[in-house]
Amino acid sequence: MHAIPQLLASTLLLGGIYALIAVGLTLIFGVMRVVNFAHGEFLMLGMYLAFWSFTLLGLDPYVTLVLGLPVIFGGGWLSYRLVMQPVIHASHNVQIFTTVGLSIALQAIALVLWSADAQFVRTSYYAVVVRFGGVAMNLAQIAAFVVAVLFTTGLFAFMRWSYAGKIMRATAQDRHAASLMGIDTGRVFALTWAVGITCVGAAGVLLAPIYPVYPSIGLQFVLIAYVAVVLGGLGDMVGAVIASLVVAFVEVVGSYQIGTAWKEVLYLLLFIAILVIRPAGLFGQRGAEVIGT
Amino acid sequence: MRGPWPAVAFFAAAALAPLVVRDAFLLDGLVLILLWGTTGAAWNLAGGYAGQVSLGHAAFFGLGAYAAAILGTRWGISPWIGLLVGAALATAFGFILGFLSNRLRGPYFGLATIALSQVLLIVASRWRAFTSGSEGIPVPFRPGFWTLGIVDKRVWVYVILVLAAVLYVVQLYLERSRRGYQLAAVREDEDAALSLGVPARRLKVAAIAVSAALTAVCGTLWTQYVGFVDPLYVFSVDLSVRFCLFAILGGIGTPLGPFVGAALITILETSLRARFGGIGAGLVGIYLIIYGTALIVTMRVAPQGLLPWVGALLRRRPDPRPTG
Repeated sequence: MHAIPQLLASTLLLGGIYALIAVGLTLIFGVMRVVNFAHGEFLMLGMYLAFWSFTLLGLDPYVTLVLGLPVIFGGGWLSYRLVMQPVIHASHNVQIFTTVGLSIALQAIALVLWSADAQFVRTSYYAVVVRFGGVAMNLAQIAAFVVAVLFTTGLFAFMRWSYAGKIMRATAQDRHAASLMGIDTGRVFALTWAVGITCVGAAGVLLAPIYPVYPSIGLQFVLIAYVAVVLGGLGDMVGAVIASLVVAFVEVVGSYQIGTAWKEVLYLLLFIAILVIRPAGLFGQRGAEVIGT
Repeated sequence: MRGPWPAVAFFAAAALAPLVVRDAFLLDGLVLILLWGTTGAAWNLAGGYAGQVSLGHAAFFGLGAYAAAILGTRWGISPWIGLLVGAALATAFGFILGFLSNRLRGPYFGLATIALSQVLLIVASRWRAFTSGSEGIPVPFRPGFWTLGIVDKRVWVYVILVLAAVLYVVQLYLERSRRGYQLAAVREDEDAALSLGVPARRLKVAAIAVSAALTAVCGTLWTQYVGFVDPLYVFSVDLSVRFCLFAILGGIGTPLGPFVGAALITILETSLRARFGGIGAGLVGIYLIIYGTALIVTMRVAPQGLLPWVGALLRRRPDPRPTG
């Protein structure tokens, strides 16, 4: 089975990027109890940021990533203040449909401004393939993987050791107790949302040299992120990373065994099976899905 | 806005319009308003009355659309039979979703419904031998009522109006009947309802199955009206979201709300299309920006929807009649 090292390498590369998307989604859910249905649109905006920086300013996507982080973070913060803050204590349905509205509006803005055509970031190295012991890997994918891993690790360190990370975890555990301890939960929510959006926006910038960008591209990635996040247990960041690798593995092996046309069916069926068998996810707390929080 | 009078006025206006209006564009708008209002109402049975917010109802719409289109083009079977087959299939899938709804709450259920509709989308667009794949199926025009080959849009208005009225009455039943109250109890607090002996699970599954079947009927009629099925449209998440929005903008869990929502959105959409369609097709997106923003604002200002909101505003004024 000479294909096994290649399959594992592809799984790892793909899973790294999925993890960065999923971690942002699960962080927002864990702290704010909001499923962000506009998550994919922020990925799309990150991709367009890379595309326009490349086309207009000639900036390499990796330069854009560093320079653009404050922009993405600021955009995330602003979208929280404008859209999410007023409904942060409202019911699940109100929150779901607010993010759905945000998703529709952002997608339509991209459509009006930049048309539905697929655009490409053609870097000089986009077709460079690295061979290593019989395994072939695209250079941009390796770079995206490395940066995604660094980013995710940074986020974990931030959550674990920084004061802001600690109060975010405290708020996730019990928002009422947290505010009794003097934590300004409103600011924690804004920070959480902005950090989650920064993760997915960064993932978008990293994906720009690999995939074409168009206004509705977010959906295909965000569906994968939903699968990973539920599989890992909604709100569980470590679970989301492991589950991203599992989903990537299913996708890679599925494409290899039965062809790329049906690979999505595999992970969607996996998703439905998880929901039926163990809805709390592999690592989540049992019963979370019944309480609905 | 309580009481049946706004609804009577709405349906009477829809019934009388074809007698006065001859313009095909306006009649087309009316057919679409009624049809979308009906799908919104069908969604409302599960999402509004039973509180099972589905983001994948396009699955049922697509099943209805495909059942009639495939039976019609392959075996020349009447779309009326296709309508029943589609409704039966959708009921079966509705039971699956109902089963899931008994295990999942809140966002988990919504995510499961998206997954289900996406599975059907992929099957419809990839199983080329059976569904013609992502090219879709053109529905041949065969004149006659039995084959739903109707040129006169006025006839379409009445066909859809009958269905719309059925949906309104079903919703009214859920508003007034003992079963409806039980369902409301399940929606508000399932555990409390169970402890009072309400058959919560059976009621939820039934509401979802009926909602699914009626959504499929809308799918069949829409396909026969438009004459084309496109898997990327009929199974899309966008379409699922539209169904919710009709009900949510108009008034979730109210019988007339979905029709009001559908009227507002359809009028906005067709008028912007008519204005921008020729010169800049990309500007059609402006309508989507308005629609997304309107949703965000509605959720903030009037989370129950526009109809209850307007009703509350009207009630706030001093009422000239004696209260008691």
